[in-house]
Amino acid sequence: MSDPMIRVRDLSKRYARGGETLTVLDRLNLEMEEGRFYALMGPSGSGKTTLLNLIGGLDTPDSGSLFVAGEDLARLSGAELAHWRGASVGFVFQGFNLIPVLTAIENVMLPLTLTSLSKAQRRKNAETALRLVGLGDRLDHRPRQLSGGQEQRVAIARAIVTDPKVILADEPTGDLDRKSAEQVLDLLQRLNREFKKTILMVTHDPHAAERAQSVVHLDKGQLGRIEHNDAGAAAR
Amino acid sequence: MFKLVVQNLLRHPLRSILTVGSVCVAVFLLCLLRSIVTTMNAGLEAASATRLVAMSSISLFVDMPLSYQDKIARVEGVEDIVKWQWFGAYYQSPDNFFGQFAVDPERMRAIYPECQVEADGWERLARTRNGCIVGYQLADQFGWKVGDKIPMIGALFPHPSGSAWEFELVGVYRSTQPNFDNRTMFFRWDFFEETLKSDGQEPGVGVFVMKVGPGADVPRILSEVEALFENGPMRVKCDTESEFTRQFMSMMGDIPMFLGWIGTGVLVAILLGAVNTMLMAGREQIHDVGILKALGFTDGDSFRVLISQSLFLCTLGGAAGVGLALLTAGFFEVVLGQFFPGYHIAPSTSVMAVVVTVLIGFAAGIVPAWRAKNMRCVEALRTGV
Repeated sequence: MSDPMIRVRDLSKRYARGGETLTVLDRLNLEMEEGRFYALMGPSGSGKTTLLNLIGGLDTPDSGSLFVAGEDLARLSGAELAHWRGASVGFVFQGFNLIPVLTAIENVMLPLTLTSLSKAQRRKNAETALRLVGLGDRLDHRPRQLSGGQEQRVAIARAIVTDPKVILADEPTGDLDRKSAEQVLDLLQRLNREFKKTILMVTHDPHAAERAQSVVHLDKGQLGRIEHNDAGAAAR
Repeated sequence: MFKLVVQNLLRHPLRSILTVGSVCVAVFLLCLLRSIVTTMNAGLEAASATRLVAMSSISLFVDMPLSYQDKIARVEGVEDIVKWQWFGAYYQSPDNFFGQFAVDPERMRAIYPECQVEADGWERLARTRNGCIVGYQLADQFGWKVGDKIPMIGALFPHPSGSAWEFELVGVYRSTQPNFDNRTMFFRWDFFEETLKSDGQEPGVGVFVMKVGPGADVPRILSEVEALFENGPMRVKCDTESEFTRQFMSMMGDIPMFLGWIGTGVLVAILLGAVNTMLMAGREQIHDVGILKALGFTDGDSFRVLISQSLFLCTLGGAAGVGLALLTAGFFEVVLGQFFPGYHIAPSTSVMAVVVTVLIGFAAGIVPAWRAKNMRCVEALRTGV
């Protein structure tokens, strides 16, 4: 059996708040296989987003270890972690997090500026990614000229343009209407099925979680049950 | 990244334009003020080492007897001597201020080779009793041409007839040295003296300018000239031309220090303005910094995005300021020529201005850039949405 894409060992994260220490993740252990679509669910404050941020290298744990896409994140320096993030992980946020002063294609090209690709090649790749998400006719639109669903699809294009192994999505449909949410979920599912991306999606929405092959439940910083839904996801 | 820097500056175009504009004005003023100082220094440096100036020990505005000329001329080492008298008249209106001096034309020509009169102006002056020569800037200002009659209303020395002194322009000069301005009128001493004498007046002399030979014992000559008149009737103070010029400048106060304080004030004001702009820009872009870091940009990249904006704004304003100073140098050469002959923007001033703007850009951007560099990605993403 191959190594898991994500392996979490005794992971703990605590925050100091108002003179008190709040344990958000408590000696968590978890493994996620390559090429699967995971949903991460749990009540508010259960540590979902914190776990996602730690897996994506946006934050550092207080203890424990994290292996993601074959890399021990604890061994990486700040700059190495940034480079690894740019190459191996794509992020999709609830609030889209596009740079407002750049056009759709410039936003998607942004991660590629960290690569050795020529400007022409960067543009070509970005156009391909935007066409993949159905926005080939919105290349030069600024974020404020797009609908919420379109903005999120630009964000997905940006997340996949570097061809990362892992896509981390934090409530990607949280700010969207039902129709746009379905489009985004369709896209994520397609990326998983056709391009074999490992996807970890934080969500509160059971309907969205149905798209995932596995649903991981977190509660008070600890792992709850893990549900497998391959058949259900395949039917959607 | 450059595109991101530029687009971030265009988030608030008016704010960026105002910041560039204020840096531009500040750098322009800086160039102007420094150029006045460098022009003054250039004048001092260009002062002839072979010219000495004798004046009344009381004040520059107190005349010496005409009879002193022969006595000074006999001092060993003095090769030539020319007397100058401030005329203090005005042309049409007292607002038209420029210097006018009664001099000995032949002596003047010999002692001041930097005063280059066009065509046969010196010869025409020798032939024309009421002739005068003027600097080309003065001629340009009033549209004078050779042959024009120039009526001058005497303030210090009213014409005995009660009307204006009438001079005929016989030549226009151009100075080859920054210590000799192009906005002065020179006319014949004998015309001046004879006109006054016709009314029973005896003209005095403002300064005697002596020419000494190269390698002359200047300290000895200075002390000998002063010693000649130690017992009156009018004691004399004698200096080298550069010392005389320096003292003349100091009559207006310590200009370099005064201008230095103004320049420093301008710089501090613009620095505070630029810092304010960049702090606002930094606050607005914290969330974007978080996005960049999430996408794989390093802390150093975040620093560079912010500091580049500051450097870009300030350098643009600085370049515009230097350009404006260079473009208006000709105008200020005319306007300030009477007081600061040879006004120009020295290359060192342009370089200094560019260096200062880069430093201001760096100083203004360092705080927000440093903050962006050190802010944790998740913290930045939570901030300033």
